[in-house]
Amino acid sequence: MKLAGLKSIENAHDESVWAATWVPATEARSALLLTGSLDETVKIWKPDDLILQRTNSGHCLGVVSVAAHPSGHFAASASLDSFVRVFDVDTNNTIATLEAPPSEVWQMRFDPKGTILAVAGGGSASVKLWDTATWNLVATLSIPRPEAPKPSDKNSSKKFVLSVAWSPDGKRLACGSMDGTISVFDVGRGKFLHHLEGHFMPVRTLAYSPTDPRLLFSASDDAHVYMYDAEGKTLIGAMSGHASWVLSLDVSPDGAAIATGSSDRTVRLWDIGMRAAVQTMSNHTDQVWGVAFGPAGGPGRLASVSDDKGISLYDYS
Amino acid sequence: MASVYIPVQNSEEEVRVALDQLPKDASDILDILKAEQAPLDLWLIIAREYFKQGKLEQFRQILEEGSSPEIDEYYADVRYERIAILNALGAYYSYLGKIETKQREKEEHFILATQYYNKASRIDMHEPSTWVGKGQLLLAKGEVEQASAAFKIVLDGDRDNVPALLGQACVEFNRVRYSDSLELYKRVLKVYPNCPAAVRLGIGLCRYKLGQFEKARQAFQRVLQLDPENVEALVAQAIMDLNTHEATGIRKGMEKMQKAFEIYPYCAMALNYLANHFFFTGQHFVVEQLTETALAVSNHGPTKSHSYYNLARSYHSKGDYEKAGLYYMASVKEVNKPNEFVFPYYGLGQVQLKLGDFKSALANFEKVLEVNPDNSETLKVLGHIYVQLGQTEKAQEFMRKATKIDPRDAQAFLDLGELLISSDPVAALESLKTARTLLKKGGQETPIEVLNNLGVLHFERGEFEVGAVSQEYFGSLYAVVLAQQTFREALGDGIWLAFIDGKENPPPVDASASNLQYKDLHLFQHLEKEGRVVDLPWNKVTTLFNMARLLEQLHNTETASILYRLILFKYPDYIDAYLRLAAIAKARNNLQLSIELVNDAMKVNQKCPKALSMLGDLELKNDDWVKAKETLRAASEATEGKDSYDTLSLGNWNYFAAVRNEKRNPKLEATHLEKAKELYTKVLAQHSANLYAANGAGVVFAEKGHFDVSKDIFTQVQEAASGSIFVQMPDVWINLAHVYFAQGNFALAVKMYQNCLRKFFYNTDSQILLYLARTNYEAEQWQDCKKTLLRAIHLAPSNYALRFDAGVVMQKFSALTLQKEKRTADEVRLTVSELGNAVRVFKQLSASAASNLHFYGFDEKKIDTHVEYCKHLLEAARVHLKNAEHEEQKNRHKQEALRQMALAEEARRKAEEQRKFQLERRVREDELKQVRQQEEHFERIKEQWKSSTSGSKRRDRSEIDDEEGGNSEKRRRKGGKRRKKDKHSRSRYEAEDVEAEMMDDQEELEDENAKMNYGEPAAQINDQDDYAAEENARDPLAAAGLEDSGAEDEVAPESAANRRSRAWSESDDDEQLDRQPEPGEIRENYADMPGSDRVKLDEEGAINDDD
Repeated sequence: MKLAGLKSIENAHDESVWAATWVPATEARSALLLTGSLDETVKIWKPDDLILQRTNSGHCLGVVSVAAHPSGHFAASASLDSFVRVFDVDTNNTIATLEAPPSEVWQMRFDPKGTILAVAGGGSASVKLWDTATWNLVATLSIPRPEAPKPSDKNSSKKFVLSVAWSPDGKRLACGSMDGTISVFDVGRGKFLHHLEGHFMPVRTLAYSPTDPRLLFSASDDAHVYMYDAEGKTLIGAMSGHASWVLSLDVSPDGAAIATGSSDRTVRLWDIGMRAAVQTMSNHTDQVWGVAFGPAGGPGRLASVSDDKGISLYDYS
Repeated sequence: MASVYIPVQNSEEEVRVALDQLPKDASDILDILKAEQAPLDLWLIIAREYFKQGKLEQFRQILEEGSSPEIDEYYADVRYERIAILNALGAYYSYLGKIETKQREKEEHFILATQYYNKASRIDMHEPSTWVGKGQLLLAKGEVEQASAAFKIVLDGDRDNVPALLGQACVEFNRVRYSDSLELYKRVLKVYPNCPAAVRLGIGLCRYKLGQFEKARQAFQRVLQLDPENVEALVAQAIMDLNTHEATGIRKGMEKMQKAFEIYPYCAMALNYLANHFFFTGQHFVVEQLTETALAVSNHGPTKSHSYYNLARSYHSKGDYEKAGLYYMASVKEVNKPNEFVFPYYGLGQVQLKLGDFKSALANFEKVLEVNPDNSETLKVLGHIYVQLGQTEKAQEFMRKATKIDPRDAQAFLDLGELLISSDPVAALESLKTARTLLKKGGQETPIEVLNNLGVLHFERGEFEVGAVSQEYFGSLYAVVLAQQTFREALGDGIWLAFIDGKENPPPVDASASNLQYKDLHLFQHLEKEGRVVDLPWNKVTTLFNMARLLEQLHNTETASILYRLILFKYPDYIDAYLRLAAIAKARNNLQLSIELVNDAMKVNQKCPKALSMLGDLELKNDDWVKAKETLRAASEATEGKDSYDTLSLGNWNYFAAVRNEKRNPKLEATHLEKAKELYTKVLAQHSANLYAANGAGVVFAEKGHFDVSKDIFTQVQEAASGSIFVQMPDVWINLAHVYFAQGNFALAVKMYQNCLRKFFYNTDSQILLYLARTNYEAEQWQDCKKTLLRAIHLAPSNYALRFDAGVVMQKFSALTLQKEKRTADEVRLTVSELGNAVRVFKQLSASAASNLHFYGFDEKKIDTHVEYCKHLLEAARVHLKNAEHEEQKNRHKQEALRQMALAEEARRKAEEQRKFQLERRVREDELKQVRQQEEHFERIKEQWKSSTSGSKRRDRSEIDDEEGGNSEKRRRKGGKRRKKDKHSRSRYEAEDVEAEMMDDQEELEDENAKMNYGEPAAQINDQDDYAAEENARDPLAAAGLEDSGAEDEVAPESAANRRSRAWSESDDDEQLDRQPEPGEIRENYADMPGSDRVKLDEEGAINDDD
């Protein structure tokens, strides 16, 4: 497996780029890249030359997360002011504006079928589930407090939910928090199942393997990537190599590789079989906040976005 | 067989005495001699015969009888024979004295000899043989000059007296005047060609000493021909053979030596050489036997020295250093000048070195070096001794010389490399590399330690270059790769390779157990169960540890941890491995595991200062103040206060204790600060170059408000830190930035913070971002401040204090904008949106305050006040906005009206022009008509005209225009193009078109305005331009805000303003609250860098609140 640089744009945004996702292809057009930035805009890019299709404004404070519906028709973007804006990708019409105070909004993910949008709720220690047909809040998956909670407040503030991930069959949802624990939920029954321990620093990104519904990857500030059997509660492997926080992570559509972005300014490609980094890209000059593999079916693509305001696109083969 | 005949007294008969059948008892013969009154010469012959047969007792008996007083009386007139007998006795005792080794007996013999000679002299003063005998005696006693005088007396009488000549030759030989000696021997040979072999031996020795080896050899050969059993000649020849340093020569030499030994087992020289030989063949017992004999038979200084040396060497090689030392000493004592025989000095030096007496060893080796200034072995040894004596520079000097003298001596390069490691890593690396190449060339295996050191050097060079310019980055990468390779080479094959190459991965573990993964050794037990060999030779442990350190540095923490665990699996007492694992766990915030690991280390060594320091550090991180202090104290005691790290840690403890409390107790603060300063100063007194202590002292000064002093200190520390390759000290950057900030030099402070963030923290430290935001705030760069805070929130999402601060910034910005005299509608619009954001932020905080925010010390009421105030501002802003928009609308209407008027005017003007033009054209058309009515041949002239002037062309076109209306559109477009190219030369012809286009333009402009106002995304570019304009407009306004700030209170409700400022300052406290529980800034990497510590200056202390 190999990454080859295709295109890089400097100053793609006016400020740090914090989020990226791919919008799957529709009948009318091919897949698009969606990026969100501290400059309060969401931009839509057409690969492979990264031609700017549109700039969506309307967010206040920085855009921290973007998510695209599997149909490719609409997407969601969220900013530090805790609003989620759902919009039509092609027309930019606002479909819905979501908020669930006092819960903030961090990472968002649509479930694989596209019926639910899961939103990491920060300090509310919960994940909010929104119905994508009615845009009503349908469930709140809360992380149970530790069995013997200490009276100290320090502990309770630790379960701050940063990241979410759906299993490929849509039955499980995992969320990562500031204290490094990962919580796994049974979505159908709306029930908390168990914690996955191992990290002791914030888990900023989680991703299930698209080919193995038990295999979960986590990226943490402790510079490690962990590979869990999320059902069996076992830590299968730990991968180290980044020099600083691992901020972002994505699994390739074929399930054979993962890509990670780190504040050490590099993007790494890991062979899951070997559990080792096979390539390190260092074309960014600042923290890499987002990595995203192109959707299945299309050509192998990986995009990375960074605090250096730039976007890079690679060929993955 | 010869026989003597003793004449029988008073008869013609004689008694025949067969010389080979002399009776055992000399008394029988003596009786005959006395009875028959035999002539004295017969006595002498018989005595000599006894002597020849080795029957010394009988010899002595006869001669003593022959020199008795009765004989003197009886043979009073036989002078010569009497003298001869006395001289024989004298010579005999001289010989006894010469070979006697015991001093007392020796002297007794000499005295006896002297007596006999003196007696002989009394008979005849001038008898040359007596003088010769005396000379020999003196020679034997070592009184060379007196001997020479004796011989001279003889020679003066008879210059060809052979014995005297020989004696004199011997004297000259002893005087080291070999050529004189040779001359004398030669004369002997001329005078007495049939002289005994010994004369030729003398010649041989002289020639040998004169370096004429071939002639010497011939002489010895001749001696042996004459006397095949001449030991001296044999030995001499053997030595010459040995000195050829060739195998055959040595063999021949040894054969001769052996022969000599068989002939005469007491020749010290032969014994020494034989001993030497057996030393090299390793037969120590024989060596000792031989040398002891040699010592017994010889009193010749150099020979004895040689014997002692052999003996010492034998003991030395057997490892009996005490004895060896004694014998070397004895050997040295026999040597007058070191340049005669230098080996015992070397041996003595070696033994003294071995026994740890460096000073004496040094003296001895220096003597050796005096004799052999280019002996690389001696140079190396001296180098070693200087290392032991701590004089590294001298040591390096000697080693360098050794490597220069023998550039193929791998050992010398190795030693030099090792010497240089601490002082000059680059040179050390070079030296070790050379050594390795040499060893490889020689087919030798490089020792594991050397590879280890090489690896470490590569590694350190890598570290040094990392963080430098990117160009060097690759160099460092290369160095790291080299280090890795070298370590691998050193480690060789083993179970570790499977881990390093990632072929072997730890088995899956239960996620909840994974918390303790760094303590897990099951992995190896598991492997052993599988039948794999989990082995780790002791000499590879260090290299494996270094390999793990390298992997750790390369961020391959997992593999590193496995290697550390492998070490612990085999060597559970390896403290450093525990501590590294603890450090990894700590870096990953797994404090519990880290503490457990440190405790494991402490189980090995209760008082390990490193472990204690680390534990103290961990306890600080865990907010366990009292415990931490105790642990650090214990650590400090464990090192007896010598390790500055612990003193520093205690200093830090005091510092943090001073600034910890929200409600400060000024008294307590002062004592803690004083204590901190005292501790820092203590460290500085011990190690004046301790950056960390200097930094700490700077902090204390800053706390006390002495910014100038602290700035100086920080600047110096920073310079020193950036000059050193192994020191990473972000804190001093931060502190320096704090000082700049406190002194109001915001631009520099910002730069400093940013550099620090980038250089040391990969931009991940939200705390420094907060400092940066604070600086922006003070510099009134509101948007920068807001952006910085947003970044900080993004990095530390659960830090709500940052959100609060962001709200405050937006509020402040809005309030200031609204106070301004002049402001555009866009500004006000921005203010409104910022206020909206502020309200939202505060509301959110207020909503979640109840659940989980008390930790940050938020007061719901306070937040509500902010909400209220912002809402109030928002309302005011909305009014302002309305006004502004109204104003803007009015302006726009006004402008529109003006524009319309202008347009109308323009239109009127144009219409006028048009009218004039029409008129003109009509006139021209008339003219044209007239022209056309003229002759056909005018046509051609007209063509020429057309091409020569543009004016005619134009005219021509217009003419066609008129005639062929169908083509007009096309041409009109053409004209339009020309207009763009050259607007000024627009002709009146096209005025109409232009006007129309101008109208178009204006419409477009209007469109743009419209789009801009309604935020239509299609007009993005214009939008952006607009933002930029706004930005520009804001700057001077922000600057103006500085002067306006005083007016703030008048406009805003006073109570609100006060509350606000209080809120800000309290939010500072909040920041601190979360800042202070983590004073664990003490460098985690301390395993390789004790004595390091960091302190951050708390910004609050450095800033006098401007409110």
